[in-house]
Amino acid sequence: MAVRERTLARLDLNFLGTALVIATIGCLLIYSATYFNDPGLNIFKKQLLWIGIGLALMVVFLFVDYHVFFDIAPIAYGIGVIMLIYLLVLGRTTANVKSWIHIAGFQFQPSEFMKIFTALMLARFFDNHEAAYLNLRSFIRIMLIIAVPVGLIAIQPDFGTAATFFPLVAVAMFFGGIRWKAWVAMGIAVAILGIAGYSQLHPYQKDRVVTFLNPDRDPLGKGYQVTQAKIAIGSGGIHGKGFRQGTQAKLEYLPARHTDFIFAVLGEEWGFIGVAIVLALYLFLIAQALTFAKHARDRGGAFLAICLISFFIFHVFINVSMQIGVLPTTGIPLPLISYGGSSTMMFLIAIGLMLNVDMHRFANA
Amino acid sequence: MRVYRDDQKFLTFRINALLWAIVAVFVFLAGSFWFVQGVQAEKYRNLSDANALRPVPMPAKRGLIYDRAGQKILADNQPAYALTLDRVVMKPIIKGDPSHRAKLVAFLSTVLGMTPQEIENRFEKGKLVQFARPMPLAEDVSMPQVASIQAQALSFPELNVEPVQRRNYPYDIMAAHVMGFLGEISEKELVNHKEMKQGDLIGKRGVELMYDEYLRGKDGTQFWEYDSHGRRLAEVKNARQEPVAGSNVYLTLDFDLQRRAEQYFVENEFVGAAVALDPRNGEVLAMVSAPAFNPNIYSRRFTPDTWKLIASNPFKVELNRAIQGLYSPGSVFKTVMSVAGLSEGAIGPGTTFFCGGSGVFYGRRFRCWRKQGHGDVADANALKVSCDIFFYNVAARLGVDKIAKYAHDLSFGEVTKIDLDGEKAGLVPTTQWAEQKQHRKWYPSETISVGVGQGPLIVTPLQVANLMAAVANGGTVYRPHVVRMIERIKPDGSTEKLQVAPEVLHQVKLSPAALETVKLGLWKVVNEEGGTGGNSRVAGLDISGKTGTVQVIAQKGWFSTAGMPFLDRDHAWFASYAPRDNPQLVVVVFVEHAGTHGGVDSAPLAKMLYESRFQKEIQTTTLDLTNPETLQAIRDGKLPMPGQTTKAPAANANDSNLGH
Repeated sequence: MAVRERTLARLDLNFLGTALVIATIGCLLIYSATYFNDPGLNIFKKQLLWIGIGLALMVVFLFVDYHVFFDIAPIAYGIGVIMLIYLLVLGRTTANVKSWIHIAGFQFQPSEFMKIFTALMLARFFDNHEAAYLNLRSFIRIMLIIAVPVGLIAIQPDFGTAATFFPLVAVAMFFGGIRWKAWVAMGIAVAILGIAGYSQLHPYQKDRVVTFLNPDRDPLGKGYQVTQAKIAIGSGGIHGKGFRQGTQAKLEYLPARHTDFIFAVLGEEWGFIGVAIVLALYLFLIAQALTFAKHARDRGGAFLAICLISFFIFHVFINVSMQIGVLPTTGIPLPLISYGGSSTMMFLIAIGLMLNVDMHRFANA
Repeated sequence: MRVYRDDQKFLTFRINALLWAIVAVFVFLAGSFWFVQGVQAEKYRNLSDANALRPVPMPAKRGLIYDRAGQKILADNQPAYALTLDRVVMKPIIKGDPSHRAKLVAFLSTVLGMTPQEIENRFEKGKLVQFARPMPLAEDVSMPQVASIQAQALSFPELNVEPVQRRNYPYDIMAAHVMGFLGEISEKELVNHKEMKQGDLIGKRGVELMYDEYLRGKDGTQFWEYDSHGRRLAEVKNARQEPVAGSNVYLTLDFDLQRRAEQYFVENEFVGAAVALDPRNGEVLAMVSAPAFNPNIYSRRFTPDTWKLIASNPFKVELNRAIQGLYSPGSVFKTVMSVAGLSEGAIGPGTTFFCGGSGVFYGRRFRCWRKQGHGDVADANALKVSCDIFFYNVAARLGVDKIAKYAHDLSFGEVTKIDLDGEKAGLVPTTQWAEQKQHRKWYPSETISVGVGQGPLIVTPLQVANLMAAVANGGTVYRPHVVRMIERIKPDGSTEKLQVAPEVLHQVKLSPAALETVKLGLWKVVNEEGGTGGNSRVAGLDISGKTGTVQVIAQKGWFSTAGMPFLDRDHAWFASYAPRDNPQLVVVVFVEHAGTHGGVDSAPLAKMLYESRFQKEIQTTTLDLTNPETLQAIRDGKLPMPGQTTKAPAANANDSNLGH
């Protein structure tokens, strides 16, 4: 489907610009968090590379009408499932978790791309489903679409990433339309699964939950990360310590300082002002994406935008909350800011798809 | 491609609901960050600094101790090496290799020559030191030990050899009791010195203790950035707190007098004390307690062997006999008796008592030291010949309480408040004392004993010196002091000098006539034929003084009961001042168990000190050194060397062998 000039003119530059500003802030923070013990700036340069590749992929996902992706979604979804199975069988264990595929020296996480494919599958489903409420058959279909990748990721075992599929469930139920009886049934099921799931957790995962409940219990042990992150953020104060001036990160007190806890670097170096600005940028991105959903040409577009932005919402909320101990520590990256090839690419693709929905909001496009 | 026509309202409503929910969540998150970064920022900033910055102490240079003239340094600091343990580094190593701790203990025990148990004890003690601070293991490590520790630096990175300052006393035992020594701060002391920490050294005795707050200075701190692996990165220069050097202390001690006095005790193997005072202001020019200890040994950690050696010394080397030794004053007390008797009118000019060798008081026979008696004794001659019968009579006339009043005024029975630790007050008996402390009546016959400085009366040599000073200066009792000046070095390098001003403790009202009589008596003791202190006579210098002997046998209850013959011998006193008309120096010499009387063993030291102190005056009055013939005569030995004088007349020596 050819891209028309009028379609291109409808590209929401504010949305794209905001995403790029966030990614730029991410690069600066990654630089600040790594330059002192990474003299070749390899991490920083790699992130630039990921963003470059991500932008290229974004262009593809931006200009090809999203309905085309609906058409090929089942194939992509299938390939994703195969990759996840491949990982389980042959994947190398990295940090207790078999979530990386090593291709030509690069590692990438199929689970991140699986989010896009699953979102596309869901949107595709709703594109063809026009009832305000889901019946049981439709509901089970949707849950199966989500459950297959979640199950495969959970047994890697990577509960953090598996949990990131949760927003899709929420979207399906909240926007797909569920009757109150179904809500109650779901609630009971989740409670039972939650209790059963906790007993099945690995010790380090249980530790995280316990630590979350009482981070000061063992400041040098399991609560260490949260304690150090809070010290970093708190010591930043209103104005922050300044770019590259953070001591918590520089002196390696702060763990995962360029990945999961990069927001703490932001808090330390840029202070509350920086935190507020970044939160505002995310909020703008979210509000704009929801506007896209409202104005989407069809249910498929609306659901695609909602599904994709729900990933942003979920990641931002979980990641930012865990920085100050509002939620337990999980390996959930901050969209477009945390270092990481797969997630950066995934979020840029998502940005592209959401813009795509917005661009094609008119039937005659 | 179907244009979606489903319930648009349904979706829009839910999207809007979600948006507002998200706004609420974001506001909540922003609020949480505001709480952490705005409200609690200070707390976290401190935690952050504590995380990254570790204090490295910069010990302050302890002030020097100078002699009176400021020319001799009696205590300084020498570079030394201390061994410390960095537990921040050690913890992860032990976590990775649990056997590391045992290896470390074994290594330390080999290098330091201590048993593993001693090392463990030190570890245990070190737990009181803040975790991030280096824990002291040994503060005086030898060069070979430093070499073997550094050879193993890779195996034991937690061990650090740090250059430190070690207190050093260049003259070893010199003025040891005045100087005192340092020691590791005790838990008790830590309570009162919040600014100090475990392992710090603090003055334990003497000037080192009394002037510790001046000498100590203030330790500084460097702040080093450490990473979470315990690696030291760089010093945060602008956080550094420079140490403030301690103030220098100038003693009142005259190096020459002090050394001569000490040599006298060492050469004669005497046990005892000597005090030289300036009667015009209470400055202590010499203070000796023999035997002395070496503060260089005391200021380091004791090995068990050192402890044994010190504990086994029968002479209590730590005791500063000049201020802590309590002795009967013996005949020296007759000076007080003369002052009291004359001032109270118990005796007057011409009051004469007959001495036939003994006398009966309150139904008891009391003997004079001179069996054949002194005949008629009156006025100044009573002091000169030290006639016991004369002073028995004075005592009987005065009563113990009046004697006590003058004894107190002349500084007995209470501390002189000298700026040294552990001073003893002694005891001046009164009827009240007998009733309240002894729960008995005071027997008048006891007063007779007190009259010649015996009985329950006990004094310190310093108190005797203060008495002599008061007589010499006409009745002013000064607070004696060993520090003349404190020199504070300000941060800009300039110095501020704080002089120690003389302080008057008592002003005793004495009639000029009484004082004249006493002074004449004291002069006669030394300078007239038949005086008991002739051994201190110095040609060209008018020395006045009083001898005293304390019989130990009768006093066993007050002193050591060890049956050694040495301990049975009498103590010898000599208390004096000079010159007669313008007193500038008081010398009190006390020799324990000398076996002779004060005129023989104690007076010669006084003589030496006067000769030393008044060298110039003596030379100008006795020898014309501008005359080549005189100089030639000195070289030939026909004339004494300047400062040396002719021997006391033989007749005097004979007499004084028995005298008091």
